[in-house]
Amino acid sequence: MELLQSHRFIGITLMILAFITLPYWASRYWVLVVLLFSLNLALSQMWNLLAGYSGLISLGQQAFIGLGGYALAVFSIYYGFPIWLSILIGGTVSVLFALLISAPIFRMRGVYFAIGTWTVAETLRILFSNWEYVGYGMGLFIKPAYKLTFNTIYFTALGIGVASVVLVYLILRSKLGLGLMAIRDEETASETLGVDIFRCKLTCFLISAGVTGVVSGVLYLHTIFIQPYSAFGIDWTIRLVFITIIGGIGTIEGPIIGSFVYVFLHQWLSDYPSVSLLILGGIAIAVILAAPRGIMGTIQDRLGFEILSPRRK
Amino acid sequence: MLSILSDLKGPIMNGLLLGGLYGIIGIGMSMIFGIVRLVNLAHGDFVILASYLSFVTISFFPVNPLLTLIIIIPVMFLWGYIVQYYLLNRVLGKTIEPPLLVAFGLSIILQNLLLLIFTPDARALFTSISVTTIPVGGFLNIPLIYLVDFIASIITIFLLHRFFNKTYMGKAIRAASDDEGAAQLMGINTKTIYAWAMAIAAGTAGIAGVLVGMTFTFYPHTGPEYLIIAFGVVIVGGLGSLLGTFLGGLILGLAQILGAHFLGPGFQLLSGYLILLIVLTFKPTGLFAKG
Repeated sequence: MELLQSHRFIGITLMILAFITLPYWASRYWVLVVLLFSLNLALSQMWNLLAGYSGLISLGQQAFIGLGGYALAVFSIYYGFPIWLSILIGGTVSVLFALLISAPIFRMRGVYFAIGTWTVAETLRILFSNWEYVGYGMGLFIKPAYKLTFNTIYFTALGIGVASVVLVYLILRSKLGLGLMAIRDEETASETLGVDIFRCKLTCFLISAGVTGVVSGVLYLHTIFIQPYSAFGIDWTIRLVFITIIGGIGTIEGPIIGSFVYVFLHQWLSDYPSVSLLILGGIAIAVILAAPRGIMGTIQDRLGFEILSPRRK
Repeated sequence: MLSILSDLKGPIMNGLLLGGLYGIIGIGMSMIFGIVRLVNLAHGDFVILASYLSFVTISFFPVNPLLTLIIIIPVMFLWGYIVQYYLLNRVLGKTIEPPLLVAFGLSIILQNLLLLIFTPDARALFTSISVTTIPVGGFLNIPLIYLVDFIASIITIFLLHRFFNKTYMGKAIRAASDDEGAAQLMGINTKTIYAWAMAIAAGTAGIAGVLVGMTFTFYPHTGPEYLIIAFGVVIVGGLGSLLGTFLGGLILGLAQILGAHFLGPGFQLLSGYLILLIVLTFKPTGLFAKG
């Protein structure tokens, strides 16, 4: 285990190098697998930041996925904005929307927060499917995305996946992260000691919304077609919950392991989409019953092994 | 002004009657929320499961769907007991995440199992009741099925009220919900009590499922829609009150039908969600919460 700890940075560097050079030596299939892995990693890392570190179980991440995707579609198709600018606008729109709903949504706690965020996303789904401007439920083809090569999308996705891990690591090592951990351990005591609970949670909520919006933009560069029922569907959050629970909620490595498991299961079971979700649901329940802290959490408890430790030594 | 009001007579009547159905969809969720302190994210799927069970029963014995309740209620009762006793009881604890996520996993499994068995086609338990309208006062026509929903809802809530106030089990359930520790000291096995509570809640979901199937078409993925309705009923009505849940259903039903009347049918669900969000924001404990 000592050996593992000391060699972990070499391992991480080699892995990232392998991913960067992937399009030049692997088949397109594997590049696609890593692309999906990276995007799922970034999205689940953001859900983990909320549910695992801030105590905010959001079932409404699909609101920001939809907003990010639709911002890309509307600004690149209708206004001819550059693609990357449209994606950034998507992130901004998500942050602004998160700020707008934060006033009512932060009055809700626990389960109320979960259902509140879900209801907000459902509301957006109905609004968008009744909105002529975005083509009702028929959806939009993001034609400008055809200009990009597959490799460009791959490198962007990979970059975002790595950046999401680094971002969460930096947040946890910052004053904000310290505050979050204090809140998680003992909410009342941390408040007495001067931790601004509302501000900590709000900051995480906004960061999570913004990054999710941007990731969604990159995702829809790959998907090309956006439609309200799928973009604002609860399936997104189901996926993020699954990834984070399997990998280990409240650990940085959890979403990495979870995304890995998810993408592979998904590829293997892709011929049977109905069975695939059935099995995912079953695995999620089994993991919560048998190892509530997920794969990575259990490894940490048993062996004390961490790849990226947010703790101060 | 008067003409607007008389225009609205139909929608208001329909909204209130639909609200009765919403009340019975929400009652099981409210019970579990209040007694086990658990949000059963699979409640909507329990409702749809019962719709499909009734659908299967009818394909073997072509009877009126209401008669299938004789089979559906006990089956759902047993299902609820098993789910709570063997699954959810094991993850109840200090934090809310594990039971929430197990219920969520259960919801995914149920939906996809139904999808696998019954395909994504729309199903319904339509009979002559579903298409009959009855004239009221010579100027209104209300769908007979809405009236059936409303009456069934009132009967169910009345029976539950009697059960919680007159029987030993009902009193034990209330005791366990008021103070788990004290109830255990009095010799009540709270784990079994929770299983009974979930069994009864699933039984009411069974009734709701048959009524939903007789009133609307359903798909394997319709569950979450009814979960949000159930949650809305619980939030608007407030926790721990049978009457509050019923009134919550009426308000939600009214909001939806009036929303559809003024803004168009696409906005029926939307106006319900907006009411839910407004109540969540300004009075998260619900309009008719006790104490």
